[in-house]
Amino acid sequence: MDKQYKVQVKDLHKSYGKNEVLQGINLNVKPSEVVCMIGPSGSGKSTFLRCLNRLEIPNGGHVYVDGYDIADPKVNINKVRENIGMVFQHFNLFPNMSVIENITLAPVQLKKESKEEAKKDALHYLEVVGLKEKTNVNPKTLSGGQKQRVAIARALAMKPDVMLFDEPTSALDPEMVGDVLEVMKNLARQGMTMIVVTHEMGFAKQVADRVVFFHDGNIREQGTPEQIFEHPQQEDTKNFLDKVLNV
Amino acid sequence: MRKIGWRKILATFIAVLGIALGWSLVEPQSVSAAEPTYTFATNNTFEPFEIQDSKGGYSGKNPGIEIEMLKKIAKHEHFKYKLKPMSFNGDLQALEGGQVDAVIAGMSVTNERKQKFDFSKPYYTDGVMMAVAKNSKITSLKQLKGKMVSAKSGTSAALFVKKNQKKYGYKIRYFDSSNTMWNDVKNGNTDATFDDGPVLQYGIRTGVPLKIVTKKPIDAQPVAVGFQKGQNLALQKKVNDGIDWLNKTGQMKQIVNKYTKSDKTTKSSTASRTIPGLLKANRSALLNGLWMTIQLTIVGIILAMIFGLILGVLGFMQSKLANGISSIIIYIFRGLPMIVLAFFIYMGLPNVIGHKVPLFLAGIMTLMLDEGAYIGAIVKGGFDAVDPGQWEAARSLGLPYRKALIKVVAPQGIKIMVPSLVNQFIITLKDTSILSAIGVMELTQTGTVIISQNMEGFKMWLIIGTIYIIIITLLTWLSNYIQKRMA
Repeated sequence: MDKQYKVQVKDLHKSYGKNEVLQGINLNVKPSEVVCMIGPSGSGKSTFLRCLNRLEIPNGGHVYVDGYDIADPKVNINKVRENIGMVFQHFNLFPNMSVIENITLAPVQLKKESKEEAKKDALHYLEVVGLKEKTNVNPKTLSGGQKQRVAIARALAMKPDVMLFDEPTSALDPEMVGDVLEVMKNLARQGMTMIVVTHEMGFAKQVADRVVFFHDGNIREQGTPEQIFEHPQQEDTKNFLDKVLNV
Repeated sequence: MRKIGWRKILATFIAVLGIALGWSLVEPQSVSAAEPTYTFATNNTFEPFEIQDSKGGYSGKNPGIEIEMLKKIAKHEHFKYKLKPMSFNGDLQALEGGQVDAVIAGMSVTNERKQKFDFSKPYYTDGVMMAVAKNSKITSLKQLKGKMVSAKSGTSAALFVKKNQKKYGYKIRYFDSSNTMWNDVKNGNTDATFDDGPVLQYGIRTGVPLKIVTKKPIDAQPVAVGFQKGQNLALQKKVNDGIDWLNKTGQMKQIVNKYTKSDKTTKSSTASRTIPGLLKANRSALLNGLWMTIQLTIVGIILAMIFGLILGVLGFMQSKLANGISSIIIYIFRGLPMIVLAFFIYMGLPNVIGHKVPLFLAGIMTLMLDEGAYIGAIVKGGFDAVDPGQWEAARSLGLPYRKALIKVVAPQGIKIMVPSLVNQFIITLKDTSILSAIGVMELTQTGTVIISQNMEGFKMWLIIGTIYIIIITLLTWLSNYIQKRMA
């Protein structure tokens, strides 16, 4: 593996029964790079993302994060996960805890911080996502966009150096999308390494350093936003962009 | 991490075992140093041989022929005894299983039984008689073609009706106690019943509305005390010597006459046949039964919860072996009828472990295994019902499996489980009544015993049923309150 990359994926394979959803993916992500993954549903981009922190167990290949091969059983996956933040489509906030408890749970349980420090940090991250006034409320009372911003704050509280986003705005009402994307843009600006599965082409165009187009379990095409959106080389890419951009 | 999990589970198992063991030690086992104590299985009701008092014991003035006999023999031959009242079938199984030292239950000496048991000298000759409802036109066995007849399972009457079924062409229904059987005849569900002569005669004299239609006992057979074959020879000798002594001194005849000839022993106190009267007369017996039901329910539920939680967590763990163990245990104990489980623990298990299982412990173990299996399935289902996204979110933050389970998934799962668990508590309370089959003196068994004395089936079951409804209503209120507090 190469030290200059934050995330390095080599020949990654994943199948469910006979259905091979990832057919040997290679991808390198540099520190502070923002990579957006686009493609039709079922193309394997979400599965690929979930392989990066071992929520899905790959059938073959290697995934190096910060130099650790997460496919290696000897590697303590919990330790590696502490440095990989993940944001889900459906937020997955813990309904049995208040907003601030959601955020402080992992830092306190994993003894990264004392309760007081964790609380102070949590308030800081709530400010970052613009929800300081919601500190002590039950997540049930939040709107979708607010929930997703809390989920981002929860992931940030572990001070990860890579953030994975799995369609973070797909479950949101259109008027909520902007706030969440704004938070993500700020993160990108501050130099966070981000890998984002998204259907927000505008976000990809504006923020991504690189756009990766998935098709049928393979990376069909990748490049700068300009290359992909303005001058796509592959027939599949053109078809896909025609469909999503001309709604 | 997994290692710690297993250790905890093991520790809990040992704790449960410890509680169970402690219980068996607490069970009263009064033993006098000088005189040996023997355990005799006997009948719940087998008048005039055994007549239980209103508390289900035999300390009344007229406990029945065999109980008076035993009392005298024990005193004369210097031994102590403990009685275990059960159904006659239960008596035989308990003797076979070595749960008891002897059976004294109006037991006829048959060739079949001689193969399995040793018998004392006979002290009575007993034959089967047929009785019908007062208004019935049946007068002989020949009129029984296509009719329904009844007998108590395991008795010589049952052997008789089975043997002659082809000859007379009737259908047979088996019962466990005389009075339910007689009530069935009275209500017209059964056309004729077969029972031991003295039992029928005594019952009719105390007010059972049946009539005996056979002129003399069919298949007269001697009655004796039964022992495990080749075991307890000292006790066998003592009992035989005692019977000889009773015969020689004329006391045997006295006892028999007291119950079959005189009216002294029939307690036809028609004074209080109303529901308040019955309640008053049986107050302490009913309260004792209720208390036993409550004890069984509470201890049973606590142990079942622990057992069920272990099963649920095993079923949910990331280990195929643990999942398999949990599934098999749940499958077995959910599939087994509770009554079979109770019989197995109380009568079958002693054969294997070579040690008696105290009655209360047997009851509690039955509840723990049966209800625990259901609770195990509820716990597993509750955990499974938690959104998998919760797991993923917790694990992706770096929380290990156990922390994710305890902090995130379990609290949500428990909330989902609460209504099903409450339902299971109510079912447990009702299920304690099944333990009456092995003779636990809980509410239902108390009812059976009381009815065997006063024959007031309708009113007594009404009372018992009402008591159950009342405590279940209270329990429901309590659980609704708890659920509201938890929400």
